[in-house]
Parts: sequence; C-alpha cells; structure tokens
Amino acid sequence: MNNKMNKIMVITGTSKGIGRELSQYYLKKGYTVIGCSRSESELLHERYEHFCLDVSDEKSVEKMITDVSRKYKKIDYLLNNAGIASMNHTLLTPASVVEKIFKVNVLGTFLFSREVAKVMSKNKWGRVVNFSTIGVPLRLEGECIYTSSKAAVEMMTRILAKEYAGMNITVNAVGPTPVKTDLIRNIPEDKITSLINRQAVKKMSDHGDIINVINFFINHKSNMVTGQVLYLGGLS
Amino acid sequence: MTEQEIKSIIHLAINDNFELQGSDEKASDDTVLFGSNSSIDSLGFVNIIVGVENQLKERNIDISLVSEKAMSRKNSPFKTVKTLVEFIQEEIEQ
Repeated sequence: MNNKMNKIMVITGTSKGIGRELSQYYLKKGYTVIGCSRSESELLHERYEHFCLDVSDEKSVEKMITDVSRKYKKIDYLLNNAGIASMNHTLLTPASVVEKIFKVNVLGTFLFSREVAKVMSKNKWGRVVNFSTIGVPLRLEGECIYTSSKAAVEMMTRILAKEYAGMNITVNAVGPTPVKTDLIRNIPEDKITSLINRQAVKKMSDHGDIINVINFFINHKSNMVTGQVLYLGGLS
Repeated sequence: MTEQEIKSIIHLAINDNFELQGSDEKASDDTVLFGSNSSIDSLGFVNIIVGVENQLKERNIDISLVSEKAMSRKNSPFKTVKTLVEFIQEEIEQ
C-alpha cells in the first residue's frame, strides 16, 4: 500500500478500554495505528506501533510525534481518547487528584492536538476527535472534577476548530454515555442506573456507538463539520 | 547548521506564506514577522513558525520555538527574521 493511501491514525490511551477497541477496529479497516499509554500494550499487529508515555509530559509527546512524523511522513487522524476519572464529592477530593485529572484530560488533549496539528498542517488536512462526557450537559454531581476537565476539553475543541480551520483540520468531540470500561468500574450500579435514566435513550453506549460518531467526524465528506460536540443518548 | 541555512529555512517559510496570500512580497532579513508593521497576519505567523519547526525537524534538529523562555523575553525573538535566526542558533547550541 502506498503511503498516500495508507491512513495514519494516532490514538491516545490504547492499552485498555475504548482506546484498545478503537485500535482494533481501525487496524481491521486497514489503517496504521500509533497508540500510547503509560503501560506497555498487549496489542500485537504489523500495523500497530506503541509508545509508553505520560500524555501530559510535553517532551515525551513532542518526541513521540516527531518520531511518528519522521517514520510515516504524515498523520491523518488523531483520537484524543486517553482520560482518567475520579468520582467523588468535592469535599472529599484532594488537590492532587484535581491536578492529575486535569493533566491527563486537558493537558494531554492539548499537547497531542498541538503536536499532531503541526504535522497535519504540512499536508493541509487532518481530523481530530476529542472525548467528552454526558456529565457536562448533565452538570453531574459527584463528578465535578472529571466533568470540569471535560468541559475544558469541549471548549478547547471549539477553539481549536477555529484555529485549525485554515489548515483544513477539523476538531470535534464525542460525548458518550457510560460505557462498560475501567473508568466506571468503581461506581455503584444504582448510580449508573440513575444516570442512564436521565438520558433520552436509557441504556449504556457500546463501543460501536462511539465508533459510529467518530466515523462521521473523520469522514472526508465531513469538511464542514467542526467545533461540534455530539452527545450520545439524546442529551444536548 | 549555519546561519545561512537557518535563514534559508525561514525565508522559505515566509515566502510560502506570501505566496499563499497571493502577495508578490519576498522575505528579507528585516522582514517583520508580526505586529502592526508586519504584512503577515496572525495565522500566517503561526504557519511560518510551525513551518520552520517542521523544516528543522526534517534536518534532525528537534527544538521547540514556542518555549516559555522565548515568549517571556523582553525583546521577542519572533520580531524579525534576524532575531529569529539568532534565537534558533542559541537553541541549537544549548
């Protein structure tokens, strides 16, 4: 496959959960996937390459994207999937947790968007998809810090969309309902049920629902779709 | 990397931008990169800086031009081609 035809996708947080599923899905579609996480990946594929790093470490992110750019000459898609959550009342939330969540969710999204957009700008084409949560429109109590960090990601999405539009790069975000991943493993079942009952479509998302939205955002025909946040489950 | 090579990279990035804007202007050492005396708009300035960084990376020079140090200097290194060349030389030497 020649380089022009080969689609290069960078996905953050690929060692487990949605990131891993997304990697497998786009590998099956024939893309080359470059993933990263703090831990090693068990994903073995001839078109998968993994970097071990902290997404909030500026130098590591710069180095990873420089290496990717040198090797593949371009990046078509970026999925800023890496994220951490901590569900707790604010009165029980230490500053260290706030710092950690904002570093991974906000700074990580910022650094990858900045570095990847530099590479995309060379080809004057690119698609960036960020990850939010329905916690933002629901102003979800008990998830103040996680939701606040995702609200920052949403605003970043809207502003990056404007800043990158001249380079023909679109930036959008998907806001999933709860998905069965490690991110919600510590949340009591009744909390999840009560959350789902606030949605128009009262069920959890699965990976396919998220992939469907991503495919819409990254489609070549979606040139005019940028700065949008699309929530699953009928929330707005 | 010589001063002349750095200068060529910057000139190329500026001329690419002028061409994109449909301007006949050509880069010189005194070309003002931003501000009211510059014919380069804010997006053009961003494109030039990113273009220069990309060109340096292609020559295996991994420096970031938008460091806090650069942004907080009293005399901005991004003022003209000349100041940018000096700044890049400093960064390479470090």
